[in-house]
Amino acid sequence: MDQYETRGIRRFLLEIGGFLKNSLGNFFSLEFLSVLIPLLLLWEFLPRLGVIPESLLPRLSTVAATFIDMLLHKSLLLHILYSMGRFFTAFAIAVGLAVPIGLVMGWNTKIRAFILPLWQLLSPIPPPAWVPMTIIVFGIGSNMHIFLMFIGIFYPVLFNTYQGIKDTDPRYLASARVFGASEFTLLRKVYFWHAFGSIIMSLKTGVSMGLVMLVIGEAYGGRMGIGYLLGQAKDYFLIPDMMVCMAIIGFIGWFLIEVLKYIEIKLALWKVGR
Amino acid sequence: MIEARSISKFISVVNENGLAGGLTAVLNVSISIPDGKIVSIIGPSGCGKSTFLEILAGLQAPTEGEIRIDGKLVLEPLPSTRKEMEDYKRRYRFISPLANGVFTDHPKHDIAMIFQDYAVFPWMTAINNIVFALRLRVAGIKRRERPTHKEMLEKASYYLAKVGLSGSEYKYPSQLSGGMRQRLALARALSVEPKIILMDEPFAAVDALSREKLQDDLLRLWAETKENATPIIIILITHDVQEAVYLSDEVVVFSPSPGSIRNRIPVDIERPRARTDPAIIEIQERIFAMLQYDINQENEYSI
Ligand SMILES: Nc1ncnc2c1ncn2[C@@H]1O[C@H](COP(=O)(O)OP(=O)(O)OP(=O)(O)O)[C@@H](O)[C@H]1O
Ligand SMILES: [Mg+2]
Repeated sequence: MDQYETRGIRRFLLEIGGFLKNSLGNFFSLEFLSVLIPLLLLWEFLPRLGVIPESLLPRLSTVAATFIDMLLHKSLLLHILYSMGRFFTAFAIAVGLAVPIGLVMGWNTKIRAFILPLWQLLSPIPPPAWVPMTIIVFGIGSNMHIFLMFIGIFYPVLFNTYQGIKDTDPRYLASARVFGASEFTLLRKVYFWHAFGSIIMSLKTGVSMGLVMLVIGEAYGGRMGIGYLLGQAKDYFLIPDMMVCMAIIGFIGWFLIEVLKYIEIKLALWKVGR
Repeated sequence: MIEARSISKFISVVNENGLAGGLTAVLNVSISIPDGKIVSIIGPSGCGKSTFLEILAGLQAPTEGEIRIDGKLVLEPLPSTRKEMEDYKRRYRFISPLANGVFTDHPKHDIAMIFQDYAVFPWMTAINNIVFALRLRVAGIKRRERPTHKEMLEKASYYLAKVGLSGSEYKYPSQLSGGMRQRLALARALSVEPKIILMDEPFAAVDALSREKLQDDLLRLWAETKENATPIIIILITHDVQEAVYLSDEVVVFSPSPGSIRNRIPVDIERPRARTDPAIIEIQERIFAMLQYDINQENEYSI
């Protein structure tokens, strides 16, 4: 009970501690370290000993030095902030639309009949296929990037939410209805929680699809963003720079998915078995 | 007062050839239950008892017949002609006929129900499961006169204690045993203090001693409302003949599928009853014999 009573900054620190333990815990296990450390050593020493040409696989230390250099001289942080700003805008819009539409579609068969076929027609279009149209309509710029990421995130969230809602056990609906629950209460208190697992699942898919579209979109123009840096590195054949960009995008994806996992653990306490 | 007038329920199913087939779950059941009575329904497994109870609660529409509670229709029967069908579809285009309303919480009838598989919400703690139900029941009251959250918590704890679940308030249903979950469902149904309690095998998963205690608790609660203007009705499905006879004013025996009323056996014995009263034992024997006969008959058919 104690941890529910703490408030304010102390509570916040506790949560951060819990999050770090949950997310980084996997990395600092003895089992994984015994795989990771040899891999890192190979990365450093294979090019150093000339087993692999250094022009193809730069040493770990070179990549690390490049990272510092990019931070200091190429305003790497600004690029990351730019990309993330767009990413979260797209994510918020996509989730803000997909979850309610999915809820309503799963809840009501009539509404479903009206709009589900539309999504079923549109969703098979692979998100990258939207690029040419988007460039023409939005021009090159933030709007285009946001729209492309939106397309990537929207469908997985929509369909998973819809499926989760539709599969809600009718026993729970019946038992809430007997006590007098209105449809709105059912949505908030029964359908939503029943679908909670699949919604979080869909957000994780959304994160990865959004990042795919981030790289694709930023490769097609713009002057800012991590995808732009990656494109630059390609044009100048800077393998260490590419690796830094790849690592950063990977880290962002990992971090966001860990955050979602943590939210799931915190909100879905009932699933933490007996 | 509950009145069921010739209730039938046909269910369309897919048969073994992959074709659409029909199944009669309930056939022509009529019964009227005055206020303040306890009625048990007993019958072989799969004969349509749960289906009948759900129709009573307004969770399934009957194919034929109607249920009235204090004269008020529970659910209109499903349409049978093409014209009725079109009309029905138009009326319930966007919202299911079972719905209580789109935004306002309000039970159609003052019923609480315990489901055979409990149907307590796994995402709420034991106490929140009860508070959820309490909150829905007070939604109609003016905001100022509504009980506070604290009062509801107290009431929830009171009923949890009543079914022997004090100490498990903050556990989730997955952390409770089957019998504890069943008692949680019982506490949830009792806590809203309804006029009608429908119970689908409410004591099936608890041990014999707890079961006797819960039965007596139920009788005590029921007796407390006896002086009220409208004493409560309890309808109880059970497979336990002793339980049925000990608790009820009338035992309704369902015949094997399709479920229809085979016999109605009144139990006119003063309360408090003794479980070993010869009069009670005698009625039990009669019901046993009846069920035994049904089962044997069915075996002859199937051989
Ligand atoms: N949704 C459904 N779809 C198809 N068949 C159903 C459905 N619901 C019930 N049935 C059938 O209706 C019949 C009656 O079921 P019901 O659950 O009412 O039985 P019951 O008397 O409660 O049995 P038990 O004592 O085992 O609980 C069964 O044959 C069952 O297979
Ligand atoms: Mg049943």
